[in-house]
Amino acid sequence: MSLRLLFLDELMGYAKSKVMIVLWFGLPLLSFIIHFIQPDTEGLPISFLVGLVVSSIGGTLSSVMLSTSIVSEKNQHVYELFLIRPVKRSSLLLAKFFSVFLCLIVAIIISLIVGMIIDIFTVGLTEYFLNETFESLIVSISAMAITCSIGIFIGVLVSSIPVAAILSVYLGGQLSSIILLPTIFIESLNPVILALTLGVSLTTIIMGLNIFLFGRQQF
Amino acid sequence: MIDCIEFRDVSKKYKDTQALDNISFKIQKGEVFGYIGPNGAGKTTTIKILVSLIKDFTGDVFIYGKNIATNRKDLYNLIGYHPQEAHFQGWRTVDHAFKTFGRLSGLSSDFLETQTQEILELLDLSDVRYKKIVHLSGGMFQKLRLGQALLHEPEILILDEPLSGLDPTMRFQFKKIIKKLAKQGKTILFSSHILNDVQDIAGKIGIVDKGHILNIGTPEELQSAFHVGNLIEIVVARNTPLCHDLKELSSVDYIEEVKSVKQIVHLKHDVDIDEAIQQILGQISNQKCQIRKFNLLEPSLEEVYLKYVRGEVE
Repeated sequence: MSLRLLFLDELMGYAKSKVMIVLWFGLPLLSFIIHFIQPDTEGLPISFLVGLVVSSIGGTLSSVMLSTSIVSEKNQHVYELFLIRPVKRSSLLLAKFFSVFLCLIVAIIISLIVGMIIDIFTVGLTEYFLNETFESLIVSISAMAITCSIGIFIGVLVSSIPVAAILSVYLGGQLSSIILLPTIFIESLNPVILALTLGVSLTTIIMGLNIFLFGRQQF
Repeated sequence: MIDCIEFRDVSKKYKDTQALDNISFKIQKGEVFGYIGPNGAGKTTTIKILVSLIKDFTGDVFIYGKNIATNRKDLYNLIGYHPQEAHFQGWRTVDHAFKTFGRLSGLSSDFLETQTQEILELLDLSDVRYKKIVHLSGGMFQKLRLGQALLHEPEILILDEPLSGLDPTMRFQFKKIIKKLAKQGKTILFSSHILNDVQDIAGKIGIVDKGHILNIGTPEELQSAFHVGNLIEIVVARNTPLCHDLKELSSVDYIEEVKSVKQIVHLKHDVDIDEAIQQILGQISNQKCQIRKFNLLEPSLEEVYLKYVRGEVE
């Protein structure tokens, strides 16, 4: 009950504080920019490239957003107002995770749709392109899940906003690429299955750790 | 009288600092309890234990006889908490804050709407209902903190430094609101490091310092426990001599001559005040001193408090 309320509340917060607008318009804008730059994609569709760029930038953004907002709310004792009510500490973190994650998924999907539209008008849409785009979508979403959980991890542990932001930029975006590394060295691995497996398992482990650490903190 | 809140041998340590050291006290239902002490005395720690924001402490805390460690879920709706420092997220409006916290407290939409209107009216915040919290003044912000604590109609109000940072007009308004809530029969614990904040509201006052409860009692009890009632001020008429030989009286400890026309008689602690006054008046009469002023000095609560926290009273 409280998780659902907190989740909707967080979404409302992102909507009111214009975070959603920045994500949902900013990331798809990258699709256009990438198209106009016309990079040498070596046969890959624009939508695939868009997926990779967006997941990297979106991952860093989500990590910074989550870590700095948690540090700020801890320092301002915001959680006291929640925890004096029948609200679980884990719900506070999960609501943050799911709301940011959902915002990013929507942003990625919009960006990929923009990329696909560009592909349709430039090189045409083939089954190969669709498969590559789908693969890009899954990898992006899995990477986002990991970066969101890392952002929360940094937010829970750190008490300075600048430190949280710097660590998030260094770690958040970069660690999510771990999801792609095995496919570079082992060609037989299916990147979609690997991304899903690593995305779900690593996110679950990190979020479990976050909830444990957050539960031990004094407010 | 029913015991509403009871602390029994409660201690709390932060690394090397003993924040609370074996404190015990009771607050009865309907009582307004002023919890005073200097900054860092242990007030907020006591309060955070009571509202379950701090869970790792030793000892027991009971609310209506139920141990808070094992009955937390039953007690959420009994307590309203005004935190000392907590902020609201900047994007919220007053209305939105009330909606969120009301729903999280399990209130129905209809009841929440009624409560919101009543509380905004009580706190004189109706005009800013749809204003963003970041645009509120300090006083309004403090009222909002109190408002969220009242949403679910709690029987017990825990107010941590509710008057801190307020200007005199706002302090007056706030005290009026607290008095009104007390009249409704709510049990109120409120902390302050300024005695004046609590002395005209609280029926009972607890003085805490360095994690110890130094004394608990009504304002009158605290004053009498202090023994400085055993001072008599005597002022003689100008150009007349001070009364002599008062120190020979059995009830007098020593005489302090403040000015050429004023002396303070320090009585012994164990004397009967009324008998001592009679003795002194008799001596004055015998010496035919021309008295302009004869006054039994009552200590202000502020003096009592300062003496306690400076360790001048056992």
